Amino acid sequence: MKYDCLIIGGGVSGLTAALVMAKNGYHTALLESSRKTAPTIRGFKRQGLFFDTGFHYTGGLSDGEPLDIFFQYLGLSGKIEKYPFDENGFDTFRCLEPNFEFPFPYGYNRIRERFSKRFPEETKAIDEYLNAVKHVYHSQSYINLDIDTNNPGLSVVHGPSLKEFLDRITDNEMLKCILSMHCLLHGVAPEEVSFFSHALVAGSYYESVYGIKGGGFSLAEAFDARLKELKVDVFCNREAKEILLSGENELSGVMCGDKEILYCEHCISTIHPQQLLAIVPHSAFRPAYRKRIEALEDTCSAIMVYVKTVPPLKEIERANLFLFPSPSFPDPCAADPIDKRPMFIARARQDEGKAFEEGCIIICPEPHTGTEYWSTLFPTDDPDAYQSYKHDMTRRIITHIETSCPEFKGRITHVESATPVTLKRYTNSPRGGIYGVKHKIDQYNPMAATRIKGLFLAGQATTAPGVLGAVVSGFLACGNIIGHEKLREELKACI
Amino acid sequence: MTDEKVIEIINSSLAEEFELDIEKMVPDALLKDDLGLDSLDRVDTVIVLEHAFKFKIREEEAIREIRTLGDIHRFVINKIRDLGEA
Repeated sequence: MKYDCLIIGGGVSGLTAALVMAKNGYHTALLESSRKTAPTIRGFKRQGLFFDTGFHYTGGLSDGEPLDIFFQYLGLSGKIEKYPFDENGFDTFRCLEPNFEFPFPYGYNRIRERFSKRFPEETKAIDEYLNAVKHVYHSQSYINLDIDTNNPGLSVVHGPSLKEFLDRITDNEMLKCILSMHCLLHGVAPEEVSFFSHALVAGSYYESVYGIKGGGFSLAEAFDARLKELKVDVFCNREAKEILLSGENELSGVMCGDKEILYCEHCISTIHPQQLLAIVPHSAFRPAYRKRIEALEDTCSAIMVYVKTVPPLKEIERANLFLFPSPSFPDPCAADPIDKRPMFIARARQDEGKAFEEGCIIICPEPHTGTEYWSTLFPTDDPDAYQSYKHDMTRRIITHIETSCPEFKGRITHVESATPVTLKRYTNSPRGGIYGVKHKIDQYNPMAATRIKGLFLAGQATTAPGVLGAVVSGFLACGNIIGHEKLREELKACI
Repeated sequence: MTDEKVIEIINSSLAEEFELDIEKMVPDALLKDDLGLDSLDRVDTVIVLEHAFKFKIREEEAIREIRTLGDIHRFVINKIRDLGEA
């Protein structure tokens, strides 16, 4: 079988790339090693409750905003139903010592007003920060379709870190911590992440915040339905084993695990870049590139605790809770005691909760050092040790939440937990990094084009994490084949 | 470090990491047309130089102006000089 384009990996970036290519007339196939596409965001059901995984909310989805335009272009808009988060506080920042709470609103005017009220001495710093975030976010070619650029993608050399930027504009530690809280949405500490990368992620949430009814599961189903309409051949339970080349470093096809060869003119790989190295002939990439990919550092992993709350918690209705032990933002990759780690708490499947009980998800960063033992083992290799690790972490996290957040005390019952080992399996990432490869200063992530003619990369490693980052990465990869200006013009027509 | 030593380190590092023919590595060599280092190699060139000289390159504008191997030699020599004076 010969395809015009083969997509490796059926996560959000791969699904996006498949739809873009098929919509543009390319005979397209998609390979996914899991049983179903988008395994990370499909969520799961336990005890009659549905728990979202990998996708809880998103920025940029209000009418006419980037993700809304992408979904319209991809033909997904009519298949999903979005709902707004609380505009007066979509994320609540809570510092435990000293006790300080700040509901983070969306909409630049509301954000400016709320911050100025709580930090009246810092108005200038707040304005400078917000203007800079807005500028960076809107300087991207697939975010702002009106900017004139022939060179989409990120710049080569990194600017200041988020911490350097904040240290320059203010001395107020609490303000700095609140402005850094969304580092939990990309997994890189303020001193490691460039202001630029942070602004790309945080900036998308400052304009609007939405959830999707039915959560990530609905989004995955919408993608699947659209793939069918556009006649994309989807091969699940099938992984790419070898990228085949011919002549002058030119792609000829991909050999699957079952030895079948799918010939293709173009291939977009969305798997972890280090896993791509293993299936590409050694001589295809220059030593410098290979070493750069081998050295890429992943974000920390996480323990996810899924609980039942009886009755449902009003505090996390259309909003999430960000918990910080103190105003200094802790490194999410550090092996700190549980009560010294930041945490993210979201309500499960917010649109379909039962009246008397509801699910809630607690996400706690876990450094890779905590799970080194499992780097080469499966839970079934040492089930007792695995269960003991899982139970111990769960107990400590629940104890911490009940002790530090009075509204949770006596109202939560444990349902299930996921560990870095779970993440490793569902994200197909070598170390179970919660957001895959870090976007950090002095680490140069690969871009879409590669030295192999016909092979391109997408995925959050190339662009930015989150659904928006993954979708943009799909468009960037396809733009290398179809033409960026053509794609951007077509997107403009969707406004 | 002498300028000659700097140039030697640059040439040998680039030759190794990009599998270049050392004979072609003359100062006038155009990175793209003569050595085959195109925009895809820009990031890796920065990283190879950073590793070879243990400094960080943040000068985006200066990097964009580099066209020849000699431009790289001058950039690194100047950078080492600036760091020494700082």
